[in-house]
Amino acid sequence: MSLATCTLLQIAAPLAQAVDSEWEVESAVLFYSESDSRVLAIEPAVYASRDINDDERISLRLVVDALTGATPNGAHASSVAQTFTTPSGRSSYTAAAGQTPLDDTFHDTRVAFGADWDIAIDRVSRITWGGNLSREFDYTSLGASATYARDYNDRNTTLNAGLAFNYDMIGPVGGTPSVLQPMVDPGFTLNRAGADDNKTITDFLIGVTQVISRQTLIQFNYGFGQTDGYQNDPYKIVTVIDPLTGEPATTSGSTFFDTASTGNLPYLYESRPETRDRNVLYFKAVHHFDEDVINFSYRYYEDDWDVTSHTFDLRYRYEMDEGYLQPHIRYYQQDAASFYTHNLELGTDVNPASGAVNTTFASNDYRLAKSETVTLGLKYGLPLGKNSEFSIRGEVISQTVNDGLVPSGEETPDLDAIILQVNYSLLW
Amino acid sequence: MFRACLYSTKNKSVRVMAIMFMLISIPACSSMGIQPWERDLLAKDSMQLVPDYLDNFMDEHIYFSKEASSGGQGVGGGGCGCN
Amino acid sequence: MKVIFNTLIVLILGLSGNSIAAISDAPNIRLPSLDGEFNLEDLRGKVVYLDFWASWCIPCVKSFPWMHHLKMTYQAQGLEIVAVNLDREKRLAEEFLKLVDVNFIVAFDPEGKSAEAYRLRGMPSTYLIGRDGRLYATHIGFREKDKPKLESAIKILLEGSQ
Repeated sequence: MSLATCTLLQIAAPLAQAVDSEWEVESAVLFYSESDSRVLAIEPAVYASRDINDDERISLRLVVDALTGATPNGAHASSVAQTFTTPSGRSSYTAAAGQTPLDDTFHDTRVAFGADWDIAIDRVSRITWGGNLSREFDYTSLGASATYARDYNDRNTTLNAGLAFNYDMIGPVGGTPSVLQPMVDPGFTLNRAGADDNKTITDFLIGVTQVISRQTLIQFNYGFGQTDGYQNDPYKIVTVIDPLTGEPATTSGSTFFDTASTGNLPYLYESRPETRDRNVLYFKAVHHFDEDVINFSYRYYEDDWDVTSHTFDLRYRYEMDEGYLQPHIRYYQQDAASFYTHNLELGTDVNPASGAVNTTFASNDYRLAKSETVTLGLKYGLPLGKNSEFSIRGEVISQTVNDGLVPSGEETPDLDAIILQVNYSLLW
Repeated sequence: MFRACLYSTKNKSVRVMAIMFMLISIPACSSMGIQPWERDLLAKDSMQLVPDYLDNFMDEHIYFSKEASSGGQGVGGGGCGCN
Repeated sequence: MKVIFNTLIVLILGLSGNSIAAISDAPNIRLPSLDGEFNLEDLRGKVVYLDFWASWCIPCVKSFPWMHHLKMTYQAQGLEIVAVNLDREKRLAEEFLKLVDVNFIVAFDPEGKSAEAYRLRGMPSTYLIGRDGRLYATHIGFREKDKPKLESAIKILLEGSQ
């Protein structure tokens, strides 16, 4: 946004850039690794932007996301070994007694492209048009956005309004599953014959940015979003527990889950509502000390799945003789979605003879559970000349799911992950 | 186990309050602020609201795939099948 | 002193009649400069292109080659260019000045008193002062497409009777 006059949020550029405008290129490679041989991801990314003329600027973004590893399928650890069918329905995998069932057929490469076009309308107002496209083997996302910003009070106050629309298509391996129907043994007809599906995501955001002093800037945003359409995770299941044994239902408690004759495994494909409305309040403050800079944000989120969350984020940039050190701390806490359930009970929730379920929605996805995430990070940045910078950061993420009162051994395990990222920026 | 997903009045009041805050802030802030030539610090990369574009983008993506919340900073950016 | 800031209107009206009406007297400026001391009153009798800039302001910095060009082109007809620097730290301005070719007056005002006197509303800001020491036009920002209008106004002031 380095348009013809110094706008409030302008990107400061080194002096030598003054004469000719060039591509400002930021490149990065991120390594993400979860403990217990869960997900491993490598993400190269490039972000490049340049002025087209005094009033227009273009930005392009390309991110590749290569994932391997295993992800929880939703079922809990049990005192007995558990056997599951892969999404394709062709084979089985087994989780030993006491182990959290992970689907290790999980692997994916995602390519995401985005572009923004900033246009100055006049000296105090501007509009940004954005587009994005991402593709992975079972998922495609296509989106467009527009943000209008206008400065008031000698550019000390800026109002923003943005609208974004996304259309996502999902084509899961084996087809979309029939909700709250059992996963079946290979060889039986799968409950996964559904067609591909889609959802639309609409987001609206208004915000105000205010300069408080030469050293302090604050921002306040309100966002409202709506998602309509297919929102299930087609690979996630919920265990049906036999309350007499505390183990996944078997033929002894239910004729329906007599796997040998019906093929039905005691795991039902999850079911979520088709609509989700959310509200977000976001506050940010940036303050410049004599040399150092502190960047703090707080977000309050709520939706009509009854998820509420608080996110605190703090970065402190400590300037050194050569480069800077930037510690980072993030704390996140959420409450469970109303239909999140540890499992479904035979008898109470599921009819032992017919398999009929007396609820419309159920998911045991840990991401909809009550949880806390703590992130600690450190970044070191080293300017290389006037137009270039090298930086490296490491972060440790630790997520704890609060299952509530559940039988010992069935707790959702903590998730520990590390991030290592290397950045290099230059003018081109 | 499941409570009806009615659109709660709590949501509406949050929205009304937020919008009122924005509208009030324009005149209320008119006495705050600095002169155009005092923007030297605000012009620095490190003083931008999002100083590290790619760090922020990657983080948003990671937390979107691990948590139930999203949004707040701006609109656009795109979806993924990770949640 | 009352300065009207809507430059484009000032310039367009002025051009249509091939003359420009003065807005007000130009407040005097006395500041340290690259060559020692600068006093705006000393330039009475010349047309002055008065520019306010800072090293952190990208469009300000982009206007330097153009100011150089203006001086080369119009100095014989009596144009002087004055670039008042508003960096808090003079050192930052000096670092930038090493990178560019400057053939005009550069003055330093780290406290911004002169910018206040001219009621500066944006960076960069340009003020055109006639030979009579009165202010004839103001302009905020620096864009390619604004150059012809500014240059026309300069020509009118140079050729006019002001």
